[in-house]
Amino acid sequence: MNINYTKQVWAHLRQDPLISTISVLGTALSIFLIMLVVMLQQVNVAPYSPESNRNRFLHASYLSTASCQDENQSTNNGPMSEQATKELYSSLKTPEIVTVYAFLCRPSVLSVSNAVSFVAQTKQTDDDFWRVFDFDFVNGKPYDKAAFKAGQHVVVVDENVARKLYGDINVSGKDISLNHAPYKIVGVVKNVSTLASKAYGEIWIPYTATNLVSRSSGAQGLLSVTILAHHRTDFPAIVSEVNQRLTQYNKKLKEQNIRILSRNRPYDQEKESINYSSNEEPDVTGMHRRQIVMIAILLLVPAINLSSMTQSRLRKRIAEIGVRRAFGCTRMELLWNILMENLATSLIAGVLGLILCVIFSFLFSDLIFAQPFSSGTLTVNASMLLQPSTFALAFIFCFVLNLISSLIPAWRASHGNIVNALGGKTR
Amino acid sequence: MTKKLFNQIKNEWRSNLWLMAELLLVSVVMWFIVDYLYVQYSIYNQPRGFDTNHCYHIVMGTLLPSDADYNPSDTVQVNDVEELMDRLKRRPDIDAVSLSYVSFPYNTSNMWQPVTSGKLKRENVFAKNVTPGFFRVFEIKGARGESSDQLSKMLTGKVIMLSNDLYKDNYRVDMTSLIGRKFIAGGDSANISTLAAAYKPIRYSDYMEASESYSYIMPLSRTDISINMELCVRVKEGQDVDFSEKLWKDADKQLRVGNVYISDVESFSDIRKSFQQNDTNQTRNYIFGMGFLMLNIFLGLLGTFWFRTQQRRSELALFKALGATKGNVFVRQIVEGLLLLVIATIPAILIDANIAFAGLNQKMDGMTLTSGRFIITVLITWLLIAIMIVLGNWLPAKKAMGIQPARALHEE
Repeated sequence: MNINYTKQVWAHLRQDPLISTISVLGTALSIFLIMLVVMLQQVNVAPYSPESNRNRFLHASYLSTASCQDENQSTNNGPMSEQATKELYSSLKTPEIVTVYAFLCRPSVLSVSNAVSFVAQTKQTDDDFWRVFDFDFVNGKPYDKAAFKAGQHVVVVDENVARKLYGDINVSGKDISLNHAPYKIVGVVKNVSTLASKAYGEIWIPYTATNLVSRSSGAQGLLSVTILAHHRTDFPAIVSEVNQRLTQYNKKLKEQNIRILSRNRPYDQEKESINYSSNEEPDVTGMHRRQIVMIAILLLVPAINLSSMTQSRLRKRIAEIGVRRAFGCTRMELLWNILMENLATSLIAGVLGLILCVIFSFLFSDLIFAQPFSSGTLTVNASMLLQPSTFALAFIFCFVLNLISSLIPAWRASHGNIVNALGGKTR
Repeated sequence: MTKKLFNQIKNEWRSNLWLMAELLLVSVVMWFIVDYLYVQYSIYNQPRGFDTNHCYHIVMGTLLPSDADYNPSDTVQVNDVEELMDRLKRRPDIDAVSLSYVSFPYNTSNMWQPVTSGKLKRENVFAKNVTPGFFRVFEIKGARGESSDQLSKMLTGKVIMLSNDLYKDNYRVDMTSLIGRKFIAGGDSANISTLAAAYKPIRYSDYMEASESYSYIMPLSRTDISINMELCVRVKEGQDVDFSEKLWKDADKQLRVGNVYISDVESFSDIRKSFQQNDTNQTRNYIFGMGFLMLNIFLGLLGTFWFRTQQRRSELALFKALGATKGNVFVRQIVEGLLLLVIATIPAILIDANIAFAGLNQKMDGMTLTSGRFIITVLITWLLIAIMIVLGNWLPAKKAMGIQPARALHEE
């Protein structure tokens, strides 16, 4: 039976090469673009190192404040002060870990003794940062709580920076000058893609080593928070705990005539991935709606095409179908048979589309995955693009495309009158 | 001929239904995309009012009291920053230097203030506080033809400069006619400035219209100067090949003033790219979508008419036997495809108009449905699909042309 199928499919494909090429190309093109849409979403949402825990992340990048009296008064939006992170997030009971880090990477001037200096994107973090994000250490280790508390001048660098400084990656324990101050390298990690936007940096230092904390007023400052939950199911509990904190903190802030607006923070990874402006809540439903419309168009247009072609192809085989029916093949068997034949073609085309999509993503990663408001090197690797879900989704879309494109023609071909069919007439 | 073709289309309505459904769907989606791209392109090509070619943003940093090199006696940061500006000005490759607060184009931060004068009032005007060099760095020109140089000389004392179109839509007045009048920018009514000049409107970015980018310019107060201000420079033409590298070589020695140092040099082409990435991505997505739809039309037409030529072999042979030339056969088949498109376009236009009427598409001048734009975008859409129809029909039509009447009729 299996051999039969393969032979049959191959025979049909060869019968009319032009039509077969059109069907395969049409399907492949559709799967290619649908998978691009999927991958665009995946690089922002799917887990990969150093953000392997994205499924368990809740982010609070910003904080919004307004004055206590007036509802419609102007709001102040931006990252938080250390005080606000402590009041709202640091001591939460439900999550596994909470990390506090600088909202933006800042450029730092790096140099060793007399060599020409260069700029590296610097992320200022606490020590828990290294437990929330799973960096790949190739040398040394992260800075610990003691170093963070004391504001020690210690730095973790990526391989690229290590090579630029010393021409080697085994550099922990060595000294460098960072913004004209002496620092000691404690660890070296693998380079991080800008797509892992929360973990991204070229070098990382404790935020207590600079004046970052002092650059704040009230609840506003330069810090953001990422919460690592034990499990996604804890999210509602964490949010309600945050809301309790918010109520308490707002009571304290009342004396200063300030009130914090929640805007339903913190956000999960998907919502955070479209969180471009601090003064409004990201519209996840809207994004989903746009994605659905996009995928529907990418499926429907080729489906109509394929459908009309399948129809024509079946019309040519009408006599064959009549013979099969006359020899006792049931309608359902025939329907199933035609659907399976088409599915085989769709799958071949789908694999082609997916391969094209992956090749394209690697070759043109800058064009495809460039994110707004980010600078630095964007890299993609197989672990980011080829998730198990990628293959599952590609298969599902192939299946759906096949179903909507061949169900009607197959139904009509298998439900025609036997006598007419034997005579080669469609009705 | 057209009437015969109509009959033919009617007789084959069942298989034409597929094609029409596809053409209708593609037509509507294509129009939406063409409309978006048309708006983006038109806005992109409007005058920007500034120029960031050869411009760079220099980020400053300062040593901390805990640092070894820190000079505790150097407490007045203004002096350090101004000295750094002077040193930059003296460099042979630099044309102009400016300091500003949330003012340079493609800015991720901004500040809004109301601007009022008597009855004239506009809320949410972008506030730009700058040093005189700002006009020369970004080549901002006066509405009465003043050069950047002349504008920068006028920015002294308690003055304000306004975008020429600030009150144009509400009060029909050009700012050039109000020069010398008193204005209040911000909530403080005691803070009165004299209008020194009006400048040609500065847009916020390439994809934001002038009507969304009203702005005013005031002198940056010396007391506000710190390393957190934006230090921008314009490099002389032909000098910016390795400007960053050259500047960087001197940054550690000549360009360290007291506790202030240079921590980064960003080119405006990078700032602009990063700021507009969302628009660029959106445009890219739509262009991909358009390519996809056009390819599908091509494949669909190719497939459908390939079958038709096979089916109509004997009819075509008869047509030829009755005296039709090869050209007749070819044209007939192409026109059949185009006629199908014409029929599908009629309901498509109705749907397009409804989408625009409901305001679901891109806004330009605050409108989504204007007759000129609608006609242009519908025509472009029709033409693009028509090209694909002709291309897709080419091969089958060629094949139909080559049918030998004698042989085909004999087979019959």
